[in-house]
Amino acid sequence: MLPRRSRLSVLVFLVPPLALYAVAVLFPILQSLVLSFFSWDGITDLQFVGLSNYAHMLTGDPVFWRAFLNTLGYLVVCLVLQLGGALLVSALLLTLRRGREVIKTLYLLPAVISTVAIAFLFQRIYSFDPQGLINQLLSWVGLGELARPWLSDVNTVLVAVSAPEGWRFSGLYMLIIYAALLAVPQELEEAARIDGASRWVIFWRIRFPYIRPVWVTTTIMAATYALRGFDIPYLLTNGGPGQASELLTTYMYKTAFTSTNYGYASTMSVFIVVECLVAVGLILLLLRRKADA
Amino acid sequence: MTKNWTLAVATAALAALTLAGCSGGGPTGDSGNIDPTGDIKPRQISWLLSRNSADPVVTTMQGIADEYAKAHPGFSLKLVTTPDRPSYIQKYETLAAANKLPELFDTDATPFAQNLAKQGRIIDEEKLLKDLGIYDSFRPNALDYQRFDDGSLYMIPLEYQAEYFWYNKALFEKAGISVPESLDDFPAMCTALTKAGVTPIAIDGADGWPLERYVSYQPFRVAGPDYIKQLKTGKSSLTEPAGQAMTNWLSDLGSAGCFQKGFSSKGYSDAQNLFTSGGAAVYNIGTWELSSLATTKLDASVRDDVDFFTLPMTDGSPTAANDFVVTSGIGVAVNSSTFDPLVKDFLKFALSKYYSTYAQSGALSPTKDVTTTIPADATPLYQKAIDSANSAGSDLVMPWDTQLDPTSNTTVQQDQVLLVQGDMSPDDFTKTVDDVITQNAPKYFK
Amino acid sequence: MTTALRTSIPAAPRPRRRSGRPRLTAFDAIARALIAIILVAQVYPLAWLFLTSVRTESDFASGDPFALPSSFTLDNYVRAFQQNNLGLNILNSLVVTMGANLLIVLLGMMGAYALQVLGFRFSRLVRGIFMIGIIVPVQIALVPLFINYSRVGLLDTYQSMIIPLAGFALPMSIYLFSSFFEYIPLELYEAASLDGAGPYRIFGQITLPLSVNTIVTVVLVNSIFIWNDFIFANTFVLSDGLKTIPLGLQNYIAAMGKIDWTATFAAVCVTITPLLLVFLVLNRAISYGLSAGATKG
Repeated sequence: MLPRRSRLSVLVFLVPPLALYAVAVLFPILQSLVLSFFSWDGITDLQFVGLSNYAHMLTGDPVFWRAFLNTLGYLVVCLVLQLGGALLVSALLLTLRRGREVIKTLYLLPAVISTVAIAFLFQRIYSFDPQGLINQLLSWVGLGELARPWLSDVNTVLVAVSAPEGWRFSGLYMLIIYAALLAVPQELEEAARIDGASRWVIFWRIRFPYIRPVWVTTTIMAATYALRGFDIPYLLTNGGPGQASELLTTYMYKTAFTSTNYGYASTMSVFIVVECLVAVGLILLLLRRKADA
Repeated sequence: MTKNWTLAVATAALAALTLAGCSGGGPTGDSGNIDPTGDIKPRQISWLLSRNSADPVVTTMQGIADEYAKAHPGFSLKLVTTPDRPSYIQKYETLAAANKLPELFDTDATPFAQNLAKQGRIIDEEKLLKDLGIYDSFRPNALDYQRFDDGSLYMIPLEYQAEYFWYNKALFEKAGISVPESLDDFPAMCTALTKAGVTPIAIDGADGWPLERYVSYQPFRVAGPDYIKQLKTGKSSLTEPAGQAMTNWLSDLGSAGCFQKGFSSKGYSDAQNLFTSGGAAVYNIGTWELSSLATTKLDASVRDDVDFFTLPMTDGSPTAANDFVVTSGIGVAVNSSTFDPLVKDFLKFALSKYYSTYAQSGALSPTKDVTTTIPADATPLYQKAIDSANSAGSDLVMPWDTQLDPTSNTTVQQDQVLLVQGDMSPDDFTKTVDDVITQNAPKYFK
Repeated sequence: MTTALRTSIPAAPRPRRRSGRPRLTAFDAIARALIAIILVAQVYPLAWLFLTSVRTESDFASGDPFALPSSFTLDNYVRAFQQNNLGLNILNSLVVTMGANLLIVLLGMMGAYALQVLGFRFSRLVRGIFMIGIIVPVQIALVPLFINYSRVGLLDTYQSMIIPLAGFALPMSIYLFSSFFEYIPLELYEAASLDGAGPYRIFGQITLPLSVNTIVTVVLVNSIFIWNDFIFANTFVLSDGLKTIPLGLQNYIAAMGKIDWTATFAAVCVTITPLLLVFLVLNRAISYGLSAGATKG
C-alpha cells in the first residue's frame, strides 16, 4: 500500500472502472434476473409470471435439455482440441532446436480470423458436393466411404461445429502452456534422466505437475470460453439439422431475438451464468484436489 | 461496507425492476390517420429493406427517389439493406421492440406485423391506396397475399412472383419419365432419376424456406388454402389428413433420395449451380430468377433443355390446377408515427411511377395495367413464364414461414430436415409441431 | 484463484538450449512429422482462403479444393468492393477496436492501481466482484443492454458496441495489470513518496511508464477479440453506416441466401489483412505478454 494515499484517491481510481463494469456487466445480470420472472414480447405489456419460465425450462422444454447436452459436447470437443492440442504442440516444440518462434506464430494465425469468415471457410471444408477439403482428403487416403455431408449428418454435426472453435484458439493456449513448460527447472529433469526415467515419465511425473497451476487457469479460460461459444454454430448451421447442433447460447439468442420471448430468454441466460459458475467450481475442485494430493 | 454493498445491490435491483417495469405497454398510434396536416417539409426518410441492393425493386425506387429529391431539395431516401432474411427479421423485430422503426420497412403479413397493426403502429394501406386512387389497379392476388387473416391490408406490394418447378428435359428423357401429374408422383420420379444417376431435386436446405415450401404443398392441394390458417392458431392439427399427407410425403421424398445429399447445409447458390450445370433435374424457384434461367446468361449446355411445370395436383383436390404459388413478395409497411405530409407525398409520387418503371426491367408488376418488357437476351421460356404467372388462379398457396408464429416456424424449419433425412418419423414430426403450436399460438394470436 | 496460481516461475521465459545430444533420434523425427502435420492443418485453410479469392467463379464451382487455381483473377476483389463498402467496415472496426482498447487499458490500469498499489479495506471483495466478469458469458447482457440502449437512445452507435466489449474485457485487464504491478518493487514507490509524490503523480510517472509491455499485450489480445466481435455488433448495430467487418461480411449473403463465394473470400482476405499485419509485426509482444501474464498470475 502506498503511504500517501487518501480515500479520495482510491475513489478516483476505482470508481470509473467500477462504473463501466456495473453498466456493462453487473446491472445487466440483475436485469436478466428480474426479466426472467416476466413474460414479454417486446411490443405488448410485461406480465409477471413468477417461476413459470423456470418451470417450463426445467420440465417442459425438450429443446432446452437437448441444447444443454449439446453444450456439454461442444465443451468437450473444444477442451480436447484446445488443451490437448496446446499441450501436444508445446511439448513437441520443446524437442525442437530451431524454428520455434515461426511455428508458434503460424499456429496462432487462425485466432485473428473473424468467426464470420471462419464459418464461410468451414462451410466449404465440410462440403459434400462440391467435394470439400475433408471428403477429398478421405478419398485420397482410401477412406472414401467415410465421406459424408458433415454438417447435415445429425451424428457428426455437433463435432463439426465445435472443431472450428477448438482449431481457432488452440494457439493462444499453446503459448501459455509452452511458456510454463519452459520454466520447469532443468535440474529436476536432469536428475530424473540420470535415474533412467523415460521421456514419458519425465513429462507426466515432473513437467506436468510443475505446470499444474497454469493448467488450471488455462482450463478455466478454455471452459468458460467454450460455454459461451455462439458465433460458429449460429453462423454455420443455426442449430440444425433439427436441434443437433443447438447450443444453449444459440437457443437463447433465437428465443430472444427471433421468437421475441425476452423473459424466457433471460431465464436461459441466468441458467448459463449458473452453469459457468458451476463449471469453474468443478474445475477448481477436481484439479486442485489432485494437486494437493 | 458489507451493509453498504447489500444496500447497493438492493438499489440496483430496484432500479432494474423499475426499468423493466416501464418498458412494457408499447406505443400506440393511429393506423387510420392517412391525412396528416401541415406542409411538406423535405427531410431524409429511411427504408429498412430485405432485398439486394441490385434488386430491380431497389434500383427502381432509388431512381424515383432521386427524381423526387430534385423537385424537393433536402429530401433523400436512405436505404438500409439486410438481404439475409433471418437477420432482417430479427433486426426489424428488435427495432419494433425498441420503438425505433423507420418511416418505411419491409415485412410479410406475419403475426408479428399484425400485432403492430393492432397497436396502430402501421398505416392502413387499404385506406391509403384507395386515397391515392390506385387500389383498383392491383391484381387481387397481389393484395390478398399482403392481407392479414381478417382481410385487412397493411403492406404495399412491390413485386409479383410466380414459383415453378424448373426441370431439365434431357435428364427427364434419360430417366425415361415425364412431368409428374400429381404430387404423389414425386417419389417415383425421384427413384427413376436416381437410377439414371441424376440428382433429382436441387434444393437450398441451409435456408429453411425452400423446403418449407414443400411442406406447404400437400396440405394446400389436399385441404385448400384455409388449412394453414386453422393450423397456425391451433384450431387444426397435423393429425388431420392434410397434415398426414404432408408428413408422409416428405418422408417418402427423403427415402426416395429426392434431394441432393447433404442438402441441409447447402446454400442458395450451390443449389442453383447444381441445376444450371445440369447436375440436378428439378429446381423449385420463383420468377425472380428468370434472368438466370430464361436468358442467354444460362449456360449454353442446358439452355434448350430447361422448361418448367407448375405445382402438380393431387387426386380430389378442392383447388384448381392454376392455383400455384404466386406471391407479391415481401411488402412495405408505413410507420404511422412518422407518417407526415412528406411521406405521403413521396409515396404518392413514387407509386404513380414505380410499377410501370419496374415492369420495364423485365419483372412482373403487382398491378394489372402494365405489361412486362421482355429483355433482349430472353429465351422463349421467359414469355411463357410471364404468361403462366398472369393466368394464375385466385387461391393462394401461402408460404408457411409467413404464417406460423416465429417459435413454431423455427421448429418446422429445423425438424423438416430431420423428417426428410429419415432422422425423425412422420409421427414424431406431427407431435412435435402440434405441441409447439399449441404452446405458442395462443400467445401470438390472441 | 490468484493465490493458487502463484508459482515460482521466473518472469521472463526464454528458450534455452537442451544439453548436448545433437543427433536426430527416432523420437525427434516423429515429433517433427507431427508438428508438420498439425501446422498444415492450422495453416492450410488460410492458404486456401487466399487461393480461392483469386480463382474465377467457374474454377471454384468445378472445385477441386486442393488444386492450384487454373486461372488468376482479381475480379473477385473488384466485385467485393463493389458489393459492399468494405473500407467503411474496416474504419468502423478500427473505431470500435481503438475506443474499446482505450477504455480497457486506462480503466484496467486504474482499477488495478487502486486494488493492488493503493489498496483499501475491502479490496478483496471488489477484486472478487471484478473476477466474476471473467466467467460470466457475454450473452447475459444482450437483452438488458438492448432494452437500456433503446431507452437512452444509444442503440446503433459506436458506444453501444464499445461499452459491453470494454466492460467484459475489463476483468481480465485488471487481472493482468494487477499481476504486473505486483512486480514493481515497493522501494520505487517509497522513494517517490519521500520526494513528495502523491498517488496521482506516482501513477503517471512510475506505474504508467513501466507498464508499456503489459499495455501492448492487453491491447493486442483484446484487439483479436474485438476486431472480430460478431454478437454485440449483430445485436446493437442497425444501420449500414456503422457495420463492422463481421457484419460487412454477412452482407455478402444476399436475399434468400444467395452467396457469391469468390467475392466473399476476397472480402475476407481484405478484412483480415490489417489485423494479420499488426499481428505478425508485434507477434513477440503477444506471446511474451500472454505467457508472462498467465504464468505469473
